[in-house]
Amino acid sequence: MANWRFKEIVVMAALSVVFGVVYLAFLPLGGVLVGFFGPIGYDFIFGIWFIVSIIAAYIIRKPGAAFLSETIAAMVEVLIGNAIGPMLIVTGMVQGLGAEAAFAATRWKNYSVWILMAAGVGSAVTSFIYGYFMSGYAALAPGYVTAMFIVRMISGALIAGLLGKALSDGLAQTGVLSSFALGKEYRKKNAA
Amino acid sequence: MFLQRLNPSLKALTILLFVVLLALIFDPITPSLFLIWTVSITFLFGKVAWKKYVLYFIPFMIFAFGMLWTTVIFADAPANKNDILLIFGMEYPRESILTALALSLRVLNVAALSLLFIFTTNIAHFILSMMQQLRLPPKIAYAVLAGYRFLPMMRDEIKIIHDAHRVRGVNQAKTIKEKWNNYKRYSIPLLASAIRKAERTAMAMESKGFTGDKDRTFYRQFTIRKTDWFFPLVMLIGFTTAVIVSFEMGFLKIFS
Repeated sequence: MANWRFKEIVVMAALSVVFGVVYLAFLPLGGVLVGFFGPIGYDFIFGIWFIVSIIAAYIIRKPGAAFLSETIAAMVEVLIGNAIGPMLIVTGMVQGLGAEAAFAATRWKNYSVWILMAAGVGSAVTSFIYGYFMSGYAALAPGYVTAMFIVRMISGALIAGLLGKALSDGLAQTGVLSSFALGKEYRKKNAA
Repeated sequence: MFLQRLNPSLKALTILLFVVLLALIFDPITPSLFLIWTVSITFLFGKVAWKKYVLYFIPFMIFAFGMLWTTVIFADAPANKNDILLIFGMEYPRESILTALALSLRVLNVAALSLLFIFTTNIAHFILSMMQQLRLPPKIAYAVLAGYRFLPMMRDEIKIIHDAHRVRGVNQAKTIKEKWNNYKRYSIPLLASAIRKAERTAMAMESKGFTGDKDRTFYRQFTIRKTDWFFPLVMLIGFTTAVIVSFEMGFLKIFS
């Protein structure tokens, strides 16, 4: 936290607040999918709930960005009033840790598309382990649980990893990120 | 009344504790008894409008119902196959039905616990209290408070972007697909304006002397008083009673 500029923290918080609302908006959609497919319904779109980790980490590129942004987004969901309650903060922390682990593995140096997708998968893995115990997946048939896990990892890689990167790149092109790591990288690329 | 005056951090931690405890319980009796207890506490000690409460509770009922039937259908093979319950002329293993009931009642119980928190807690107070009791760094706390203030502004911003697009001849969305496309078009400008606003706010705060130092004073002080401990105690009594009654009835099943 010491080497973070205050500007970066507020921008991360603002992103988290926006995506906290987006996360809430996707809960009913997940509910509809669950109605059709059973508990696996959530897993198809689970990646959307990891996206702020990837965006914040990709833009700010400092240790802790993925973890903190996801935690704050979860906090905002709790504060607005959501379907899951204060426990959601812990869920957010668990998901954030998964993404953070992927970035930590590269010592917060590499932000290529593969690492971003790996971060999405990382969130999927930790959130699944957590869900296994907290939501009682243990009571479901093992084959079904395996299917849920695989679908969630794919969703994490595609929705969180690829869509997150696409959104951040779109933002960088507008120029608002000029004082952040991603914007600086863009400027360097354009200058060259 | 008394729930509103509780220390927000202590209230949140108590609720977290009982959500964790509930996750260990796999029988239907304990969560149903504790659910009644939680709802009673909410209405006895918090001035909660019941109409609003019911409105918030309905989505959980739907979710719990979905959980109920999917758990029955996708359940793991039961240990005792001959123990069967008849429901609407269909045969189901008794164990699956009980587990399904337990899981969906747990959903409802967690819902009741979180509604108790949301309906009796002021958001800004909660964040301030987290800073004072749970050592949340002021930098993050005030950043979140600032970000939270952006939300209503964001609604205006959507309106502005929408109008700007119309001026430039973008048609109004009628079908769901058009609406979806509109949101895709809005997302980048909306995020860009949020980032600009956040940057400006950060600069304004720093220029007015905000350092994020932990050693700071607060206009609104939050403390944990002795009477605050009454809430965790009351909840613990309810939970223990539920577990004991369930045990006496021979239902109690703890995660194994």
